[in-house]
Amino acid sequence: MLYIKCPYCGLRAQKEFSYGGDATVKRPNINEEVSNEDWDNFVYMRKSPRGKHIELWQHIAGCRQWIKVQRDTATHEIFQTAKVTEEIR
Amino acid sequence: MKNVSSLENIHKLGLFGNNDNKDELINIREIKDVLIYQIVKYKKSSISIDKIKIDNLNLPKTLFVSSNHYTRILWMGPDNWLVVSSNKEIEKSILENLSHDDFALTDLSHSRTILELEGSLVDEVLKKGCPLNLDGLDEGKCSNSAFHAITITIDFISSNPRKIRIFALRSFGESLYHSITDACLEFGYKAE
Repeated sequence: MLYIKCPYCGLRAQKEFSYGGDATVKRPNINEEVSNEDWDNFVYMRKSPRGKHIELWQHIAGCRQWIKVQRDTATHEIFQTAKVTEEIR
Repeated sequence: MKNVSSLENIHKLGLFGNNDNKDELINIREIKDVLIYQIVKYKKSSISIDKIKIDNLNLPKTLFVSSNHYTRILWMGPDNWLVVSSNKEIEKSILENLSHDDFALTDLSHSRTILELEGSLVDEVLKKGCPLNLDGLDEGKCSNSAFHAITITIDFISSNPRKIRIFALRSFGESLYHSITDACLEFGYKAE
């Protein structure tokens, strides 16, 4: 089982969390002209990297906050977690 | 309005499980007739919570509980608290101390099932279905977690004797009760 350090509650089991997808995807700016391809990329197209990846998780059975998690998709090692408003470097 | 217990059909009083010749059993009781309010501070609000008092209690910090004889205030998340009280005037106290511009108040009194477990083996019961690390979760702490995939809030009322309250959504009450009592059978339990 993975253990994820929630920035609010501390180290918790993965059972308390829900995966929320790629945290690096940026929504096109509001009121900006968006091509069909850019919109398609934003809505559907996702990378599937092997190695370090920044993801969104929600502490659904805890404080219910969304957090960012930097995880290795091959080894599942978790390097860093942060509040959703913070940057992971 | 009549307060109908969510466990009315299944919470039968008596001794159950492996209770023969046991010095210590787990006591299980349902907590009813309490008022439950959720307090959420708006994101845009810049008010400090340090000086706010509800029923003479501060809003607690992360994973802590503020309590007196009638009222317990649990930390549920950032800027989110749960007030559980047998004080019938608690709503008045909250409204007097919190501004509408800074806080949202929701009455959840009929939306939760509350089980109280007491005994030295309570932690063993929790370990059977809850992934929480119980080290350091002593008297005056609280935490959200899950028990057999049911989202719960645990209020650690006392360490000696170990006494906890488990909150779950009312609709999960019977399911939680079955899960908890099933976990208690090995140790023997007394439903009060």
